[in-house]
Amino acid sequence: MDVGTEVREKGYTGWEGRLIQRRFKWSPIARTGIQLAFRKKRFKPLFAISFLPAFFFLVGIYVAERLEDFRAFFREANSFIAVDPGFFRAYYSNGSIILFILLVLAFAGSGLIADDLKNNSLQLYFSRPLRKKDYILGKLAVPAFFVSLLTFVPGLLFIIFKLIFSGSFRFITEYPWLPLAVVGQSVLYIGFFGLYTLSLSAASRNSRYVMVLVVLVYFFSEILSGILKLIFRSPYTGLFSLGGNLNQITAVFFSQKTPYAFSPVWSFLVLSILAVAGFIFLFRKIRGVEVIK
Amino acid sequence: MAIETTDVHFSYGAVKALDGVTVSVGDGAVGLLGPNGAGKSTLLRILLGFLTPDRGEGKVLDLDIRRARHEIRRLVGYMPEDDSFIAGMDSVTFVSFFGELAGMPRREAMKRAHDVLFFVGLGEERYRLIETYSAGMRQRLKLAQAVVHDPKLLFLDEPTSNLDPRGRVEVLELIREIMRSGNIQVLISSHILADIENLCSSVVILNKGRIAAQGSLDTLRVLNYSLYELRIKGDAAPFRLRLEAGGSRIEETEDGILKVFMPPGRDRKEIFQAALEAGVQIRLFRPSRTSLEDMFARAVGVD
Repeated sequence: MDVGTEVREKGYTGWEGRLIQRRFKWSPIARTGIQLAFRKKRFKPLFAISFLPAFFFLVGIYVAERLEDFRAFFREANSFIAVDPGFFRAYYSNGSIILFILLVLAFAGSGLIADDLKNNSLQLYFSRPLRKKDYILGKLAVPAFFVSLLTFVPGLLFIIFKLIFSGSFRFITEYPWLPLAVVGQSVLYIGFFGLYTLSLSAASRNSRYVMVLVVLVYFFSEILSGILKLIFRSPYTGLFSLGGNLNQITAVFFSQKTPYAFSPVWSFLVLSILAVAGFIFLFRKIRGVEVIK
Repeated sequence: MAIETTDVHFSYGAVKALDGVTVSVGDGAVGLLGPNGAGKSTLLRILLGFLTPDRGEGKVLDLDIRRARHEIRRLVGYMPEDDSFIAGMDSVTFVSFFGELAGMPRREAMKRAHDVLFFVGLGEERYRLIETYSAGMRQRLKLAQAVVHDPKLLFLDEPTSNLDPRGRVEVLELIREIMRSGNIQVLISSHILADIENLCSSVVILNKGRIAAQGSLDTLRVLNYSLYELRIKGDAAPFRLRLEAGGSRIEETEDGILKVFMPPGRDRKEIFQAALEAGVQIRLFRPSRTSLEDMFARAVGVD
């Protein structure tokens, strides 16, 4: 291609339109981040597979409502599949769903800030009328989108399908607070995993390294908590486990017994401190230019 | 005035990057010159609102650089010096994305992205991933994202760095084309003096964080010194000594021509007087134009 010729053939023309004031300045960043995630190799199959736990739980709801048909398979069915708040708690604190959330975020979220740092693109973002909070919100919306698809949407579908399969509203009249619990639980996961992914992504310029960190840090906290428990034999060692703290609060949302013998307020405090630290780290790390003082 | 700053100071810790910079930049293309570490990029970053000055005031397009950063960024286009892109994107998405962030409606941004990519010569390559672009193509892509929203003022930071001679000529031609449109004022920061001399009608020269010179090239040439080229017959040493004693600077070219830089206020008759006293004949005498290189060297104090 003769690039030089092409340059001379097309002259510069102005743009006649008017710039608009977007209400949500972060929305193009969020949309683009989600689109880029789907362009990544192997992401689509992984994302599809991550709905398997939700699918199995939906099947569970169907089975629970058609117990007579499945009696041969489930002799102790009444205690085995009871669709109640405990069922929802089981979904949200299930190891497989947490693993899939982490894997999806490792693929879709590891490069969100790391790639911008590596490719010096922050200066391009901030040469536009964007504030740091717009940038962070735009980036945060990407993990939020994926986490909500794996938490909020299934939770909502469980309620809807339970009502459809049972053919009555008894379930919702028995647990009228359940939709709110699903929303609360989803917000907890969106906030935690969103900040967790972004903070790790801002910690390095290498997105592959971040990808490994997203999975490792979470499970390292579990291992650390386990080791500390062996040494100190105290329930409070659960505070060192990210998953443990999340499970404590999940139990509160769904009115279930907490897995650790300490107040969930402690878990809430630990997660809040981590969230504040994550925000501070992000706001310090993200700037239009590198300033070394 | 497109850009005005008054007594702007900025330090990176103990290192003073800008030390009382007062600049006044009017219409047309302006070159921002200075050796490495002179404070060019810091000044650009302050004008864009990336950095807040420790002291001093400034306006870009009549908007305060401290209070109206976001308004300024809507009206300004910025082409950074470093390689900057978003991984996994093709160039048309990239350019329209930054158009949208500038405030363009989505569809218009996409339409305009196609136009500017054709303008910079990447029209046929617009669906290719940016990672696969050559250095020259990425440079033109940076220019495309800077002009996608049709800014009123364009900041170009080293627009021809890392380019081969052909790529350099092409990018300069693009900048000239943008300037010809008449709607965009351009501020070019560069260490390539020939580029500035080719494109700009006025310059701001920074040295060690201070303004070393500023104004239109023509005025600066007259103000700083007059340049004469001459060929002499006879012993040049006493002749040179006499002229240097009068404050002139003399350079000898490879083909034996003496370039005499006379300071402001001196009369060219002094050259003939010095020749008479030194007993040399002047075989050639012609007034010449001071190059930007000469002016720059003098402003920043290097030979």
